[in-house]
Amino acid sequence: MAKPFSVRRVPGFSTIAMICFIGLYLPIVTLVIYAFNAGTSIAIWEGFSLRWFQSAWNNAQVIDASIRSLQIAVTASVVATVVATMAAIATTRTVQYRGLTFKYAFINLPLLVPEIVTAVALLIFFSRVKVWTGYSGLGYLIAAHAAFCVPFAYLPIRARLESMDLTLERAAADLYATPFQAFRYVTLPLLWPGVLAGFMLGFVISLDDVVITEFVKSGGQDTLPTYMLGQLRRVVTPEMNAISTVFLLLSFAIVTIFFFLSRTEKTS
Amino acid sequence: MHQQPAGTTRGGDIDMQNVVKDFGHFRAVDNVSLKIASNEFFTLLGPSGCGKTTLLRMLAGFEMPTGGKILLDKADISLLPPNRRPINTVFQNYALFPHMTVAENIGFGLKMLGRPKAEIEKVTQDMLRLVQLEARGKHLVTQLSGGQQQRVALARALAPQPKVLLLDEPLSALDLKLRKSMQIELKRLQMETGITFVFVTHDQEEALTMSDRIAVMSEGKVRQVGAPDAIYDRPADRFVADFIGETNFLAADVVSVNGNVARVRLASGKEIAARFAEGTQPSGKVTVVIRPEHARAAAVSAEADLKGTIQTIVYLGTDTHIHAVLEDGTHFTVRQQNSRSGPCGFSTGEQIGIHMSDDVAQILRD
Ligand SMILES: Nc1ncnc2c1ncn2[C@@H]1O[C@H](COP(=O)(O)OP(=O)(O)OP(=O)(O)O)[C@@H](O)[C@H]1O
Ligand SMILES: [Mg+2]
Repeated sequence: MAKPFSVRRVPGFSTIAMICFIGLYLPIVTLVIYAFNAGTSIAIWEGFSLRWFQSAWNNAQVIDASIRSLQIAVTASVVATVVATMAAIATTRTVQYRGLTFKYAFINLPLLVPEIVTAVALLIFFSRVKVWTGYSGLGYLIAAHAAFCVPFAYLPIRARLESMDLTLERAAADLYATPFQAFRYVTLPLLWPGVLAGFMLGFVISLDDVVITEFVKSGGQDTLPTYMLGQLRRVVTPEMNAISTVFLLLSFAIVTIFFFLSRTEKTS
Repeated sequence: MHQQPAGTTRGGDIDMQNVVKDFGHFRAVDNVSLKIASNEFFTLLGPSGCGKTTLLRMLAGFEMPTGGKILLDKADISLLPPNRRPINTVFQNYALFPHMTVAENIGFGLKMLGRPKAEIEKVTQDMLRLVQLEARGKHLVTQLSGGQQQRVALARALAPQPKVLLLDEPLSALDLKLRKSMQIELKRLQMETGITFVFVTHDQEEALTMSDRIAVMSEGKVRQVGAPDAIYDRPADRFVADFIGETNFLAADVVSVNGNVARVRLASGKEIAARFAEGTQPSGKVTVVIRPEHARAAAVSAEADLKGTIQTIVYLGTDTHIHAVLEDGTHFTVRQQNSRSGPCGFSTGEQIGIHMSDDVAQILRD
């Protein structure tokens, strides 16, 4: 009897898969290992030590950049999630009309525009605004991050809205809920996992953005990624590895939290 | 604001006047005028796609009529949004809120109306008792069986004591036995609460057993409105006769008309009495309908109204259906109750005479 087709038995499949995994993860694993190097090299192992984590922790610039990164990421992804939620409702809770597809495309377009183009455009635009207003705070970075996070937040929220049963909202209206109450008590609780996913995506994307941040930031507004980029141009010590490792753990933590949040939603 | 849905003890009466609903160029509801009395169990019956749900959705406020008016207790509600109408719906797929418990689902309407917690609590308990789910209040609705979910949907819609309850094929997802017991349950609830029920089904048996009155619909139009026996015994046209129950159609000639009874001559040459709808004046060639159970098969004799040859005999437990072909080639079915055990006394291929009691034939409006 012929066994059912399995891609695992295709010649070379396992080898190619292994190579891909190694290519993807070996550099990261190496990076993490050398974060614990006792010496000052990122290539020669001289024993285990936590000194680079300590040195990063005591580096005021690193702490300053990290705090700024978090400030921007939290604010920008909250703004982006709110905007994306409203956009998703506006584009799914409506009768089909000409131009709706165009509107979807318009919302998702920033995903396709090369980041460098957006960055240059924002640099020019914001430098004008800075002259007019005299304001040069974090607002520009937050606005820029929020803008490119919107499409990332929009996708999971819209997917969730589209899979939701419309009769539930009708049932709420039938049971005397005003449109706002129907949203508050029925749509939003059911939409929540989508909103959370949108927020997490936006947060992670904002946290590691380099290109736009590099162009838009004013002096002294380094985020962690731009700070690291600046350091790499000078002396490279395992301190970079240590910072990257913490960064990696943080991202893992976020993804894990989200995974469990979305799972409890489903089982309850 | 709200027309005080809770606290009323009497159902509302509905008056639909020339209601039309177009979807683009397609007319889903075509000039429907219906009056539904308060406390009535009113059924919309018709084949799939005839516009029952659309009509119901206009009553609920999910669709606005393209033309015509809908009055509730004499007040025009045609353009009110659903949350401003004292009308609740039991949805075909139940539409229970999956993130809420059974009790939260049932209390939702009263909560939206801003009723005090104590009242919501009390009504919810009453409703749980009414639908026999006392022990399930704290369960999530997703943990219930289909029949239980159905009862929660019913309780949720009844809790705010609406003037009218709309039910869109609420029993179609249940198995036969559960459906039968829910039919009786629904009828009981309707009588106990005094709420006007508008019930949608495409199951004619369900309509006949539950309704005070039925409106038979097809292609967006109402074909006939009447009590179940009137619809069954005196169908107004071929569509209604064909849709409700099994029917024999016979060609006939009108011989004379006397009051509301006509004498018609069948193809066999025999004359029988036939009734016709008020306001019509039958003449010439007409079609009469005779229900299979209103005819009786017997040995061939000169008195028989029709003569035919038995084609098949179908045993159905309580009755036997005898399918015969008449002399002119028309098919005719006789339904006989099985009074004693054993065969019905006829066999396939046998010649039979068919007798009809007086007053069973009905002339169709053309
Ligand atoms: N939103 C809509 N847009 C366009 N056509 C519609 C819409 N809703 C219903 N229709 C059409 O109107 C007609 C009546 O639909 P409706 O749902 O009222 O039928 P129904 O009698 O409830 O049928 P069923 O027994 O299958 O539920 C159908 O032909 C349907 O295709
Ligand atoms: Mg329907």
